[in-house]
Amino acid sequence: MFFRILKNELKRKRTMNIILFLFIAMATMFLASSVSNLMTVNGAVEYFLDTSKVPDNFVISLVEGEDDVIDEYLRNSGGVSEYEAIDTFNITNDRISIVEAANVSGSKYERTNTLCVQAISNDFMKVFDQKDQPIQLKPGEIAIAKLEAEQNHLQYGDKIRIKIGDVEQDFTITAITKDAVFGSAMMGFKRLFICKEDFERFADQDNLTHTKIYCINYKNEKEFKADWQNQNFNVIGMVDQSVLRMCYIFDMLIAGILIIVSICLILIAFMVLRFTIVFTLQEDYREIGIMKAIGLKDAGIKGVYLIKYFAIAVLAALIGGVFSFPFGKMLLGQSIVNMVVNQAGQNVLLHVLCAMVVVGIVLLFSNASANSLRKFSAIAAIRNGSNGERYQAKGRLRLWKRRQMKPGLFMACNDILSNPKRFAVLAITFCIGTLLILLPLSALHTLTGKNIISLFGMTPTDVYIENGRADDYVAKKSVDYIIDDLEEMEMTLREHGIEAKICMDLGYMIPCYSNDPEEMVSYLTQQEIGSLVGSYEVLEGREPKAEDEIMITDLTAKEMGVTVGDTITYQYPDKTQKFIITGIYQSLMNMGNGFRVSRTAKLDENYISGFPCIQVEAVDLESKEAYDHIKEIFPDYVVRTALEFVDSMTGDISNTIQMVMYLLTTVVLTINGLITALMMKAMMAKERGDIALLKSIGFSYGSIRVWQVDRIFLILIFAIVTGTLLSKILAPLTMGPIFAMMGANKVELEVKPLEAYVIYPLILLVVTGFVAFLGTLDVKRIEAREVNFVE
Amino acid sequence: MSSLVVKDLCKTYIVNKRQNNVLRNVNLKIEEGEMVAVMGPSGSGKSTLLYAVSGMDQPTAGSVSFFGKDMTSLNASQMSDMRLDEMGFIFQQMYMLKNLSIYDNIILPAYQSKKGKGKEKRAIINDRAKELMKKLGISEIAENDINEVSGGQLQRACICRSLINQPKMIFADEPTGALNQQNSKEVMKELNRINAEGTTVMLVTHDMKVAAKSDRVLYIEDGNIKGEISFGKLHENGDVRERERRISNWLMEMGF
Repeated sequence: MFFRILKNELKRKRTMNIILFLFIAMATMFLASSVSNLMTVNGAVEYFLDTSKVPDNFVISLVEGEDDVIDEYLRNSGGVSEYEAIDTFNITNDRISIVEAANVSGSKYERTNTLCVQAISNDFMKVFDQKDQPIQLKPGEIAIAKLEAEQNHLQYGDKIRIKIGDVEQDFTITAITKDAVFGSAMMGFKRLFICKEDFERFADQDNLTHTKIYCINYKNEKEFKADWQNQNFNVIGMVDQSVLRMCYIFDMLIAGILIIVSICLILIAFMVLRFTIVFTLQEDYREIGIMKAIGLKDAGIKGVYLIKYFAIAVLAALIGGVFSFPFGKMLLGQSIVNMVVNQAGQNVLLHVLCAMVVVGIVLLFSNASANSLRKFSAIAAIRNGSNGERYQAKGRLRLWKRRQMKPGLFMACNDILSNPKRFAVLAITFCIGTLLILLPLSALHTLTGKNIISLFGMTPTDVYIENGRADDYVAKKSVDYIIDDLEEMEMTLREHGIEAKICMDLGYMIPCYSNDPEEMVSYLTQQEIGSLVGSYEVLEGREPKAEDEIMITDLTAKEMGVTVGDTITYQYPDKTQKFIITGIYQSLMNMGNGFRVSRTAKLDENYISGFPCIQVEAVDLESKEAYDHIKEIFPDYVVRTALEFVDSMTGDISNTIQMVMYLLTTVVLTINGLITALMMKAMMAKERGDIALLKSIGFSYGSIRVWQVDRIFLILIFAIVTGTLLSKILAPLTMGPIFAMMGANKVELEVKPLEAYVIYPLILLVVTGFVAFLGTLDVKRIEAREVNFVE
Repeated sequence: MSSLVVKDLCKTYIVNKRQNNVLRNVNLKIEEGEMVAVMGPSGSGKSTLLYAVSGMDQPTAGSVSFFGKDMTSLNASQMSDMRLDEMGFIFQQMYMLKNLSIYDNIILPAYQSKKGKGKEKRAIINDRAKELMKKLGISEIAENDINEVSGGQLQRACICRSLINQPKMIFADEPTGALNQQNSKEVMKELNRINAEGTTVMLVTHDMKVAAKSDRVLYIEDGNIKGEISFGKLHENGDVRERERRISNWLMEMGF
């Protein structure tokens, strides 16, 4: 008897059982993929740095006779546990060219920044290919940094030529690297890898600039750092792992978005599960009542339902678990593109565990819902759900009071207001979907907005140029030399009819301290040079004007424990230089750390370390016009708009977020569509009688569909409006801290109204509305005469 | 003028690949203002006939003319319009939309009709609905929920709904099937009154007492009309007991 009832249950209520099955499968898919992705994303940077064997600290040194001294020092330093020196040689534009490439017509190779070549066989700073595998190279093969490949539109199989002195060799690109140390756009140094034999043939050539990278693991960090400062080695840069970790902040922005997405998906999954179970059980009041009427006990009836739900849940969780692998990988693969990710998150056991959790939750919900079986009485079953108790319905609209409203729209409004709980899952799902789109969109709009250059602590200009002479400027260590170059550039522009002013934020890496010389820090100090006098936003105080004035980022101020009016002392080998803090500012440059001195300040030119770009402000031209003209005048330079410059600084973050936006939109539309379709199916199963009645009294097929679709539209509009309002509150709470981690504590998140309030909501409305419209096709199958057979 | 002219009407269902001929060449004519009851054993095709002639179901063959209009030539939308504006339906189940009050359920078809658009027309509809409810003695339940009223009250509300668009003909499928004797009497009284006002009524029933209040009774068996008995108008020849006795004898003759 028990199993016969169960068998009939599964067979007869096919539609509701299929709906339950699909929802459980979907919930499992969301849960397993989200948990797996959370595990992967959480600690992703640590995993990448560990796997790549990134040292605690590394020093880049131009080999000018000092390498032996540094080697000797590191070998004997008490603060160092182990170190490795990696030999590289620098590549200039004239030494590298494209020989054969599918997507490139010319032979000119454009470096993104300082480029060097090294052999693949080092112990530290390992690199991986795009499939996260260690790179193996044979003679004639080359592995190229991802940003370099993108800059030059190179891909696997393309050929590039390196020619140094008498040695010339063509290399086939066999790998595009994920480089934990130099892969980020923030690191102004990129590596090409060749095999050891090929490297040695080039390394012997004259006129090569050799660079050594010293990878250092600490035995005693404090001792090493204090001692190193006293050595006064003239190195290009010294980078601590903690600083390096900050280079992945933009990847973490994506990871953060992924975490928010995962949490939202888990929420949706559980919500949908609970709704479906309660909904399907409510449908069965008649059967439950009849079972009671013929003498079955509550426990027996509960058993039938629990076994039914268990059987469906196990099967659905199995299917959902299988689909969670490709779904999770798709989310992760589109988001975390620059790092080697921990595959442990993709563990089968984890997915099985998640599937088991879903089955457990289904049983829990079912058990809790089945407890309400007591409410379903035999009398209710016999009286079509009414137990004879008379009650006043609440929150209902009155049709006769709405004389202008179409009955279809009225019924839709009335249904929602009469039973809002029934539509809550849809509304919350749509609302979460809207948030999933609007929150990352605010990050995207801010990163591509008009204030982004100011957020980098720079003055906004028309055009941002890289002239490929960064190495030269750093090597010459002369401000006048650079200013001459900038003036020459202005002359050239003037000759071409463009009146323009040019400036550059020259960077210095000078050790400094506030009170205690023992607590030395080394952050970038920027100084504007050139004819263009920019203005810089300050959070507190004012810009430095006198030669002994300085402004400091809020992050650095906090770290050093200083504020406006305090003093910063720059420490040179033989002297010190004091500056008074006049202002606090914020900057996404160098992860929020740094200083800016006035144009009149005299810094030691030996400490010049680089510059982000040359900025040009055309006097009489619009930005776009200036960009086009300057690109023509300097065909060999990399000329960028503000947005392109930001992308070059952040590793194309806007494009990555844009891709994530497309992915999220697809995911949200799929979820909306799926839930809408299933809810429509569930509601139609419950409203079969209503539809039959409306048909019988003369409502056309179209007008019944309008009623059904209107309900979804109303819920959707409500959810979009609520989601949009919530995003105003949640965006600063979710995206704000991410920007703060990147160095900007006070970011006004930008929103492009057309995209955020018109285009995306319209996409949601049209696609979800279309699915709802398709869902109403079933109305045709319900016949008017069914009104007399409805239970 | 004939309200309904049915010629060679057939209705066949395919169930599990087996053909089930529910109606076989049914021919009948109902005159305007007539009240006709259809009786017959269970499964004889009574309800199917009602649904097929009222456009709720598509006949397999044959023709149905409703006040001169060939219904078989109408598309689904035209058929819906005809049901909405020119026909009224009463069902055994007394089905109403649960989320609407009794009053809103009654006026819903009128608001949906093309004839009911605009503020002024809707005001007229409201007046008509109130008048109908008053006539049927259910004014006090207008704002009630459908769970708050008795079966008889609900069926009378369904009759109001069926009349709201002033239909030319009422189709009723076992209108008293779910009611007690007292409520059945009241509902039939209303149907007779409506019919007396000129609305044609076709009803399906098992109940001889209900059939006895009709002008004519058709007997259907195996999808075919096997016979009929006429009494004339109830108010002209109002001996209900005599009518019931004649129906009883007649049904016995028909083998019921």
